[in-house]
Amino acid sequence: MLLTINGRPHDVHVEPFESLASTLRERLQMLGTKVGCDRGECGTCTVLLDDVPVYSCLVLTRSCEGRRIRTIEGVATANELHPVQRAFVTHDAVQCGYCTPGQVMSAIALLEQHALPSDDEIRRSMSGNLCRCGCYPKIHAAVKSVAAAAVEANDDR
Amino acid sequence: MRYSYHRPASLDEASDMAAALPNARFIQGGTDLMVRIGQGRERPGHLISLRRIGELTTIDANREIRIGAGATLSDTLAHPDIRRRLPALAQSLAALGSRQVRNMGTIGGNLCNASPAADTAPPLLVYDARVEIRNGRAIRCLPLAEFLLGPGKTALQAGEILVAIVVPDPPEGTGSAFIRRGRVTMDLAIASVAASVRLNGGASIAIRVAAGAVAPTPRRLTAAEAVATPTDDWSRAAIAAREQIEPITDLRASAEYRRHLTGILVRRALTMAAAASGQWSIDR
Repeated sequence: MLLTINGRPHDVHVEPFESLASTLRERLQMLGTKVGCDRGECGTCTVLLDDVPVYSCLVLTRSCEGRRIRTIEGVATANELHPVQRAFVTHDAVQCGYCTPGQVMSAIALLEQHALPSDDEIRRSMSGNLCRCGCYPKIHAAVKSVAAAAVEANDDR
Repeated sequence: MRYSYHRPASLDEASDMAAALPNARFIQGGTDLMVRIGQGRERPGHLISLRRIGELTTIDANREIRIGAGATLSDTLAHPDIRRRLPALAQSLAALGSRQVRNMGTIGGNLCNASPAADTAPPLLVYDARVEIRNGRAIRCLPLAEFLLGPGKTALQAGEILVAIVVPDPPEGTGSAFIRRGRVTMDLAIASVAASVRLNGGASIAIRVAAGAVAPTPRRLTAAEAVATPTDDWSRAAIAAREQIEPITDLRASAEYRRHLTGILVRRALTMAAAASGQWSIDR
């Protein structure tokens, strides 16, 4: 079957009950997407499907034909990190780093929908991504800083 | 092929497939079924995805509110008529799982999974929702209370498809609310309560209460409804509710705690619903 991942077509053979997380990691060696609980509770495997965040461990790959899949591998350009990635670095929002790809994907989805989310909207929207190290205050600050920077850039124009 | 995945484009095609493949399971968002498959607790011969069937995802709010069973929890929550006319349902959707789960899961899936803790069920019960079921080429309707039969058990017969949930428009002056308590946001509810209230001054015209996670199915608490009045601060309703539930002890909470909590949630939900009705203020 044909999958469109980060704007590029991938021709893969998959089993009927295979999860998107398995296809990404085991068939396509796209190891940026991590698997934590493998049962839809931790958010580590979050990818964007038609631009909304989903748990790739619970998505059947076979259901993804004709849909837009975005993973952490497609976020940065060749020489530049995505603003959300940069903010995670600046705010030191990473301890062990395992949950980070999922956190970044959720944050990108949120900021694409709401350029300036409130504190409460950030917390609610990111609540499906657990961080075992407890970096929540820094993750929150990172997401908030990207929103604020976007507004400033807009004001300067 | 031993097992496979199918994507019918219409309800007729889906019904015919289910009839031809006796060991098939329908799948929507997969947030429950995929977990069971992953854990080896379920091994369907075939999966029939209902995602391509457009008519399952429409929400029609012209008179009664008809929610296609395949509408995602996110799309249902985002619908302005559902927020305005069915606020308790909107509150239950906002409390359900995480953003990712709401983007994947569907309202029909939440009901068909038939968890005693299904968050959308208590509000739909107080709104007197009924379900529309496709059986081959025929359609049958059931009150939601007769659809939910036990943990993991619904009134769906083999090959039948839940097509829509139909909710009558609540009469003018109705207030409603939903509250749930869980250990953490992502976990199932320990107890949840929905209430709807229509008052004339202090006199009760129509009161409905339903609870989740405290009996084999989400259920209406008719004994509580019968004695519910704002004039005693809903005390008798809370006591009656505690008597009408059948909570169990599990890893989330003891039966005694669930009973205690349900009394409190019933009182709070009724208080919030009455305030929302505009007929009874909380600090009166």
